[in-house]
Parts: sequence; structure tokens; C-alpha cells
Amino acid sequence: MRESGDLLVCKGVTKQFGSLVAVKDLGFTARRGEILGIGGPNGAGKTTLFDVLSGLNPATRGEVWLDGQNITRAAPEAICHAGIARTFQLNACFDSLTVRENVEVGAIFGRAAHGLPGLNPSAEARAATDEALALVGLSDKANHVAGDLPVLDRKLLMLAGAVATRPKLLLMDEPVGGLTHAETDLMMDAVRRIKAQGVTIILIEHVMRFLVALSDRVMILHHGERIYEGPPKGLVEDRAVVDVYLGEGASARLAAMLQGAVP
Amino acid sequence: MEIFVQVLASGLTLGAMYAVSTIGLALVYGALNMLNMAQGALLAFGGYVCFYVMQQLGLPAPVGVLAAMVVGAALGLTIYLMVARPMLASPAFETQIFIATIGIGSVLQSVILQLFGPQPKAQPMTLPGGVSLGGVVVPWQNILILAVAAAMLAGVAWLLGRTRAGLAIRATAQSREAAQLMGIRIGRVYAQVLALSGALAALSGIMVSSLSGLLPTMGADPMLKAFVICVVAGLGNVPGAAIAALLLGILEAVIQYIFGVQYAFAILLALVIGVLIWRPYGLFGKRQVVRL
Repeated sequence: MRESGDLLVCKGVTKQFGSLVAVKDLGFTARRGEILGIGGPNGAGKTTLFDVLSGLNPATRGEVWLDGQNITRAAPEAICHAGIARTFQLNACFDSLTVRENVEVGAIFGRAAHGLPGLNPSAEARAATDEALALVGLSDKANHVAGDLPVLDRKLLMLAGAVATRPKLLLMDEPVGGLTHAETDLMMDAVRRIKAQGVTIILIEHVMRFLVALSDRVMILHHGERIYEGPPKGLVEDRAVVDVYLGEGASARLAAMLQGAVP
Repeated sequence: MEIFVQVLASGLTLGAMYAVSTIGLALVYGALNMLNMAQGALLAFGGYVCFYVMQQLGLPAPVGVLAAMVVGAALGLTIYLMVARPMLASPAFETQIFIATIGIGSVLQSVILQLFGPQPKAQPMTLPGGVSLGGVVVPWQNILILAVAAAMLAGVAWLLGRTRAGLAIRATAQSREAAQLMGIRIGRVYAQVLALSGALAALSGIMVSSLSGLLPTMGADPMLKAFVICVVAGLGNVPGAAIAALLLGILEAVIQYIFGVQYAFAILLALVIGVLIWRPYGLFGKRQVVRL
């Protein structure tokens, strides 16, 4: 039987494209209610790992278990119904739909038992939509067309759509890439609110300020393998992480930030 | 005045008929990126089913129309399950399905030929008589076609804009992956779209054959016009296709009146070439196509 503390369990997950091994024999867990941050240089296999977990590109070898259910080979929509939601690095909103409709898609179809194709969204779906919009602060833009929104709002909209599916586990791929300092803080607040609702989160991010501030644990990947797993504080003390990912300069700044010297 | 009413009536009827045949095509392309070359044969099949139910079985007209639409939907569903679904994952899906549906079209046409023979038949689903408007008698049949087209366009607009199924169709048309990740069962969406377009094709086949009669090859001309309209509007753009259909219908009637019937299609095609040169993504199309 499963240990009740682990929501997601990956065992020996490998993803191979021809001779290229993008993710190599990776085993890790995500504990209920925690935020697991994933970092690593470009091409480390982070997004590929998300593709494996969300079913877009199933693992070549190994197993993925969510809440005691083997989802290794399940279809993306089935994995969504099992309780994994995902946001993308780039804009993946439905551009011609309104903000409200975007979120409704998640609220209506995101849970398994939506039954027969009814005509109108159920009261429950409407409530979930309102709640998700309020959570990310897009309530007053509900009737805007998604394609017209600025970058931050699109990222928040993707997040709202994902939250509306009522996930157990939320995968976030570079949620603050390209955002300003202030916008990053807004996103950080939104993620904290989602965590407070009991959602387990795995996030990929290059912006260390964001990753370190939010993550309970951090895992660093390099060439598809784990080179570090542990508390955020340990990053700057780890030789391999400093050498292949952070570099001396960024590492010094991060160390200063961790000690609270830099806000 | 009489001439104006005459040209307008015939233009609107043409346009309405084109709209009806085009919507199914635009819907399938918008949702699946699939050019359904069997659409013409589906059209003819629908016309013949209605003919069979009314003429051979002696049942009333509504039963004939309903039966044709049910058969059309079943054929559309079969095309999805047997042909489109196995090809969906392929990177060359658009080319493969284009060629495969040409094949399905000829098979369907041969089946019609086998069942009903090559002689033209009259479509029994017609309204006799007409109404006098401004000194011109407009046949009830033309008014029926207009009404059916208007009802159908409104129905499709309502389905896409106001229902959960429509929301799923629009989301899937925008991004297959994002739709899947948000829990939409895209297989079900595709099946619904193809069944719907099959039913619409059957309906338009009945309308077309009520004016021009039944022939196994009767679908070819409306399908060609439907493609022209889809291209002019921007492939996959459903509301644009409806507007373009009406405009082209009226234009065709005007050309027919001024220059003669034989020039209508040539001028129409010249217009399309112009559109493709100046607006390669169609009159209402955008580079990054926002469909449905």
C-alpha cells in the first residue's frame, strides 16, 4: 500500500527520444501539501518531465503513481481527471474565448464525472469558476477576450484554469519567466493562496528568488539526472549545483538573499 | 423593381444553400484541421435517403428529413471512428485525411449508384406554389431553403456559443493539447463534430436536390462552391463562412443577370484568386487563425 504522506511517486522514470535520454532513471516523490521546486540548466529535462507526468509524452520506462493510482500510460485527459493540472511556460490560453470561458473549460471538464454533455455549466462549475478567478485576481476581467490580455494576466489565467479543475497536484512550468519584479511578487502570492488550499505544487523556475522563496524542497536536474535534492538553503553549499547551474556570482547573490541581506 | 426582387430572391436562395453546405465543412476543418472531401458524397447520400423514405416507403416529409440527418450523422461518426481516429496522431494527418476522404467519397458515390441507378430523380421534399412579392412570384421552396439555412446557422451559433459541448469544441479547436490537459475528452469532441457535420451535409443535400434534382454526382458542385467559400472566408472560420456564402450567392445571381449564367463560376473563381493574392488567410482570416 502507499505511504499516505506521498502524493506523487516516480520510480525509475526514463524518457528517451531515439538515442537522446532526456530524463534518466529518475525516482522522486512529492509529499502532500508541499511545494517541490525543480531547477536546472536548459535542456536538463525539466519540461520533458512535466510532459511525462501530465501524459502528453508518456515515459519510455519506469512508473508514475498518483495517490496510489498508476498513471504512467494514462491519457492526458484521464490524468487531469485523476488530479494533475498543469500550466505552461508559454501562453496556452484559448485565445478566442473569454477569460470566464477559459476557466469554465477547466471547471466543467476537469473533473471526471461531468456526465452527459449538458447545455449550461452546473452551479458547481460556475462556483468553481468564480472561485478560481477570484483566487488569481481576474474577477473583474471575466468578460475580456483572453487573446487581448497582457502577459501577466495570461499566466494568471492559465493558473486559474488549472485550479478550476480542482487538482491534487499542480505542475507549473516557469510561471514567472518574463515577468517584472513586482509581477513576480503577485504570482508568488497567488501560488501561496493555492498552496493554502491544500494543493501540492511542483514548479519549474529559473528565477531563483521565486523558487527559493516558495519551495519546501528543491530538486536540481542536469542532463536528465538529479544532482541535488534537499532544502533551498543547501543549494549554495552544493559544489555540483554551483558549478553546473548557478555559477559563482549568482550563487553569492543567492547566499546573500538566503541570509536576508537582499530583500 | 421586379428584376431587383428576382435577382435578390435567387441570390439569397443560392447563398443560403451555399451556407448550409459550407458550415459542416468549416466546422470540421476548424475543429480537426481536416478537409473532408467526402462532404459532397454525404450531401448526395442525404438527398437519396430522404427520397427513399418518402417515395419508396411513403412516409411524410419530416420523417424523410430526420432519417437523412440520422444517416448523415452515422456516416460522419463512421468516418471518424474508422478513418480519422487512427490517423490523428500522425504528423501528416492533414494530407492523409484529405486523400482518405476522397476515397470515402467515391465509395459512397458508388454505393448510391448501385442502390439507385444513374438516372436523375426528383426530390419529393418540395413545397409547391409561391408567394407574390413586388410583382414577382417567389416559390415557397426558396423561402423554405432560406428559413432552413437561417435556423441552421442560428442553431450552430447557439451550440458553439452557449452550450458545454460548444465550449469543448471551441477549446479543442484552439489547442488540442491544452484542451486535453484540462480534461476534455477530445475523441468525444471530434466524434460529435463529425456526426454534426454529417447531419448538416444530409440536410443541405435535401435542399440542393429539391432545386436541381437527385444525381449520384450532385454533391460535387456544392462541395466545390463550399470550398471556394471556406477559402474566401478563411479556412475553419464558421461565422465568416456564413457571411461569405450569402455574399457570394448574391454576387453570383447578379453576375448571372448581367453577364449570363456561363460566366458566374469563372468570375467567382477569379475573385477567389484575387482574395488569395491580397488576403492569403481569407477575408476574415488572421495569420494566427482564431477559429470557431
